[in-house]
Amino acid sequence: MPDIMDYLQFILAPQMLNGLALGISVVLVALGLTIIFGLLDVINMSHGEFYAVGAFTALALSALGLNYWVLLALVPILLLPVGVLVERYLIRRVYDGGDRHVSTLLLTFGLALVIEDILKIIFGPNTHRPATPLPGATEILGVFIPTYRLALIGIGFVVIAAVALVVYRTRLGAMVRAASYDRNMAASLGVRVGWVYSGAYAFGIALAGLAGVLLAPIYSVFPTMGHDFILLAVTVVIVGGMGSIWGAVVAGISLTQVQAISALIISPVWGDAIIFGVMVVVLMFRPQGIFGRIGHA
Amino acid sequence: MKTKFWVALATTTALAMPALAQDAIRIGVLTPLSGTYAGIGQQVRWGLELAAQEINTSGGILGRPVTLIYEDSQANPAVAMQRAERLFDVENVDFLTGTVSSGVTLAVGELAERSGRLMATTVSFADSITGARCSPNVFRVNARAGQQSVALASWLAAERPDARVFYLGPDYEMGRSTVAAFRSNAEGVGATSVGETFAPLDSADYSQYFGALRSARPDVLYTSVAGNDTVRLFTQLEDFGVRANLTVLGASGTVTSQNIAAIGAAAEGFVTGVGYSTLIDTPEHTAFLESFRAASGGADPDLYGADSYGVLFAYQAAAQMAGTTDTDALREAFRGLTWNTPQGVKTIRAGDHQAMQQMYVVRVEGGEFRIVGNVSAADAIGDDLCERF
Amino acid sequence: MLDRLDISLRANHVLFVILFTAAFVFGVMASMTGDRFYLRLATEALILSGLALSIDILLGFTGLLSLGQALFFGVGAYVSALVLREVPSFWLALGAASGASLVAGVVGGLIANRVRGVYFALITFGMAQIVAKIIYNTRSLGASDGLIGIPVVEIPLGFVTLSAGNPLEFFLVVLGGITLIYAGMSYVLSSPFGRVMIALKANEKRVPYLGYSTWAPRMVAYVLAAVIAGTVGGLYPMLRGFVSPELMFFSASGDALIMVIIGGSGTLVGAIWGAILLVAFKSVVGSWTEHHLIIVGLMFMAAVLFMKRGLIGLVKPMIERRLVRIEAAREMRKEGKAP
Repeated sequence: MPDIMDYLQFILAPQMLNGLALGISVVLVALGLTIIFGLLDVINMSHGEFYAVGAFTALALSALGLNYWVLLALVPILLLPVGVLVERYLIRRVYDGGDRHVSTLLLTFGLALVIEDILKIIFGPNTHRPATPLPGATEILGVFIPTYRLALIGIGFVVIAAVALVVYRTRLGAMVRAASYDRNMAASLGVRVGWVYSGAYAFGIALAGLAGVLLAPIYSVFPTMGHDFILLAVTVVIVGGMGSIWGAVVAGISLTQVQAISALIISPVWGDAIIFGVMVVVLMFRPQGIFGRIGHA
Repeated sequence: MKTKFWVALATTTALAMPALAQDAIRIGVLTPLSGTYAGIGQQVRWGLELAAQEINTSGGILGRPVTLIYEDSQANPAVAMQRAERLFDVENVDFLTGTVSSGVTLAVGELAERSGRLMATTVSFADSITGARCSPNVFRVNARAGQQSVALASWLAAERPDARVFYLGPDYEMGRSTVAAFRSNAEGVGATSVGETFAPLDSADYSQYFGALRSARPDVLYTSVAGNDTVRLFTQLEDFGVRANLTVLGASGTVTSQNIAAIGAAAEGFVTGVGYSTLIDTPEHTAFLESFRAASGGADPDLYGADSYGVLFAYQAAAQMAGTTDTDALREAFRGLTWNTPQGVKTIRAGDHQAMQQMYVVRVEGGEFRIVGNVSAADAIGDDLCERF
Repeated sequence: MLDRLDISLRANHVLFVILFTAAFVFGVMASMTGDRFYLRLATEALILSGLALSIDILLGFTGLLSLGQALFFGVGAYVSALVLREVPSFWLALGAASGASLVAGVVGGLIANRVRGVYFALITFGMAQIVAKIIYNTRSLGASDGLIGIPVVEIPLGFVTLSAGNPLEFFLVVLGGITLIYAGMSYVLSSPFGRVMIALKANEKRVPYLGYSTWAPRMVAYVLAAVIAGTVGGLYPMLRGFVSPELMFFSASGDALIMVIIGGSGTLVGAIWGAILLVAFKSVVGSWTEHHLIIVGLMFMAAVLFMKRGLIGLVKPMIERRLVRIEAAREMRKEGKAP
C-alpha cells in the first residue's frame, strides 16, 4: 500500500502535473486556431509560424531590455495589425474562389514557408534559449516543479477564461458569433462582417503570439519551433470540434494527459502516434469533433 | 528550364577548373553547420582549418596544398546523402570527413564505397561503424562508444559498486550504440540496469521522460545526448529536482567545453570516459592548445576539435607513405598507420579501421574537467568485430 | 469534332512531349559531359514528379486535397528497400512496392473517404504521421536512421538489361516509367469513368442524379493515386541506396503539393513540370543561398492568388488556341472534299 501511495505521489502526480503544463500550452496555441476556423472557415496553416514570430519578437525586444511581463502584453498587441493585414490583403482574396477550405489552406501554407524563412534570415537557423523569468523550483507534496511551469498553468487558465468571456459574454463576442452563424443575416443587422473577420483572424494570431512568448522559456526559440507544436494543436482542434473553445480546452488537457500517462506505461516515443491515432478515429466517426462550433453549440 | 541545369553545370565546372589547375588536395567536409549539432560542426571546422593551415605553410601533402570544401549535413541522413553526392561527383573531393551523426556516417560510408573514395569520421560514436557495419572505405580516428565505456565502467566499478543504472540516449544509431556499449560494460562490473529510454534528437522537453526515470529509482543515470540537447536535459533534471540523488555519467560528447558554460551548475559532478582532455600535459598538446585558442577566438578545443585536427595529419602520413592519393594505395597505407596527434600516438587497427588511443576518465569539478583516471589503448579497444575485410 | 476537354488533354500531351524531348536531350548531353550529380538529381526530380502527379489526380480531378500522399511514396520506398536487401530484383521490388501501396491505398481509402473537404485533408495528414512515427520507432526498419545496404540492381527489360547504377540508364528507365504513368492516367481520365471523377470536382451533389455513385469513383481515384505514389516510391531506394522516415513526413507531402500548385493542377503534366522546376530551382538557388524557401513560398502564394492554373496556365492557352485552329482547318478540308 505505501508503495502505491509512493508511486502516485512521486511518479504519477508530477508526470500528470507536467502534462497539464504542456496541455495548457497546447490549448493556448489551439485557441487561436479554433477561433479562426470557427469563424472564417480557414485552417490557418501558418499558425505555428505566428507562434514562432511571437517568441522571436519577445526575444528581440528583451534584448533591447524590455521586461518579460511587459512583453507578455506587448507582443500580442504588436501582432494584431499583422493579422488584420494578412486577412485583408491575402486570405480575403481567396474566400470565394472555388473550394474555400482548400484555397485558404494552401495560401496559409505558402505564407508559413515565407515566414519561416524570414525568421531564419533575421535570426539564423540556431536555437536560442531565453532565461526563465521565474527561476527555481517549488516544492509541492515533496516533489519539485519548476516555478515557471506552475505560473504558466495559472496564466494559461486566466487567458483561456478571458477568451471564453470575450467570445461568450460580450457584445463583441455576440457579433462574432452572429457573423459566424449567418454572415448575411448578421450583415443585414448592421454587423460589419468584414471587420469582424479581420478582427477574429488578428485575435487568433495574437493568441498564437502570446503562446510563443509564454512557452519560449520552456521550449527554446528556433525558426521551425512551430512545426512540432502545431501538429498537436491541430489534433486538439479537430478532436475538440473545430470552432469550439471548450472543446479545445477539454481535448487539449485530456489528450496531453493521455500522452503523459502513456509515456509512463508504454514509452514516451509512442505519444505522438497515439495522439494522431485518436485524431484519425475522431475524424472517421465524428468529424465535427466532440463539441460543436462557435455559434452552433 | 533546361538551361538552368546547364548554367549550373557550367558554373560548377568553371569553379572546379582553377582548383584542379592548382592541383590542390580537395578534402570534403560534410558537417552540421546548423541545427542541434552546429556547435560540434564548429569544433570540427576549427580543428580542420587549423590543421590545413599548418600543413599548407609547411609544404602541403606530397607538395600539394590542401583545400577544404564544406557542405552542411544538417544531421539529417536524407539531406547529407545528397550533399555527399555533390562533394564526390561535382566537387571531386579526394577524401571526405566531418560527418557527425552516426546514421549519416554509415549512409555516407556506403556512398564513399560506391564512389571509390575514402572517408574518416572524427566524431561519430556508434560501434557499428567500425564493427558489424564496417566498410573498407571508412576509417574512424576518434574513440568509439566501446572505448569510452570501458574507461567509464572502470571508474564506476571503483567509485559506485553495485550501482542501479538508468540509461537515456538520443533515439538514433549513436544513442542505441552508446547505451548498449555502456550497459554491457557496466553490467560486466556488477551494476544493475533498471531501465532505458530513448528521446528523439532535438527534444524540447525531457520532463516527459522523468516519470519513467523516477519510477525506476536509479542511483546512476547514464546519458549520451549531445550538443544543445544536453543543455536542456541537464537544466530540466535540475529544475525538476531529479538530479539531487543521482550520479550522472555520460558519453564523451555529452558535456564538452562547447556546452559546459550553458549547462552551468547542473554539470557539476558529471563523469565521462573520453579520448581527449585539455589537461593533457605534453609539449605537443600545449602548443596545439595555444594555436587552437588563437584560431578559434579563445575557445578551447574539445574532443571533436582535437580529433578533427588529427585526421588531416593521418591523411598526410598515409599519403606520404603511399606516395599517392590513389584510393587503394591510400587504404593500404591507412591500415596499421601510426601517427602523432596532440592526444599522443594513435594507431589505426588494420582489422576494423578503428583508431586505438589512450582513454581518460574525467569529472566536472568547479565548472572544469579534472582527469580522475585513465585506461591504456590496448585495454580500451575491445574485440575486432568487423568481418568484411 | 473535339470538345473542350479533348482540346485540353491534347494541349497537355503537347506539353508532355516537349518535356520528354527536353529531358531526353538533357540526359544524353549530361551523360556525354560525364556528369553524374545533375543526372541523378534529374532522376530524383522525375521520381518526385510521380508523387506530385498522384496528388494532382486527387486534387486536380476529384477535388480532394491529400496532405499525406508521401505516406504511399514511403510505403513503396520501404517495401522496395526491404525486398532489394533480400533479393536484388528490380521487377520483384517494384511489384512489391505497387502491391503494398495498393493494399495501403485500399485501407487508407476506406478510412479517408468517410469524410470530405478539409476533414479529408486532415485525415490523410494524420494517417501519414502515424505510419511515419511507427517506422521512426521500429528498430527492425532502421528507425530514425533509415535503411542502408541496398544493392545496385540490374533492370532486365527483355530486349536489354540496364543498371540502376548507371546514371543515364536509370534516368531513361525512370523517364520511361513516368511516360507510361502519364499516358495511362490520361487514358483513364478521358474514359467515361474518368469523366465521372472530374464531374465530382465540378459538382459532387449532381453526380448521383446522373445515376453514378460518388463513393466508387472517389475510391478508385484514391487507390490509383496511392499505387502511383507507391510505385515511384519503389524507384527511390534504387537511386539513392537509402530510405529514411523523412520520406513520409509532412515536409515531403508538402513539397509535392508545392510542385502541383506551382506547376498547375488538373493537368497531370503541370505536376511533372512543377517537380522538375522545384528540384532544379532548389539546386541552383540552393548553391548560392540557404534561403530558397522564401522564394518558393512566395511563388506558391502567387500561384494560389493569381495563377489558379499554375505556370502551365501561362502557356497552355496558346497551345490550345493553336490546336483549335489546326482542328478547324482539318474540318474545313474535310468539308471541302466532301461534296
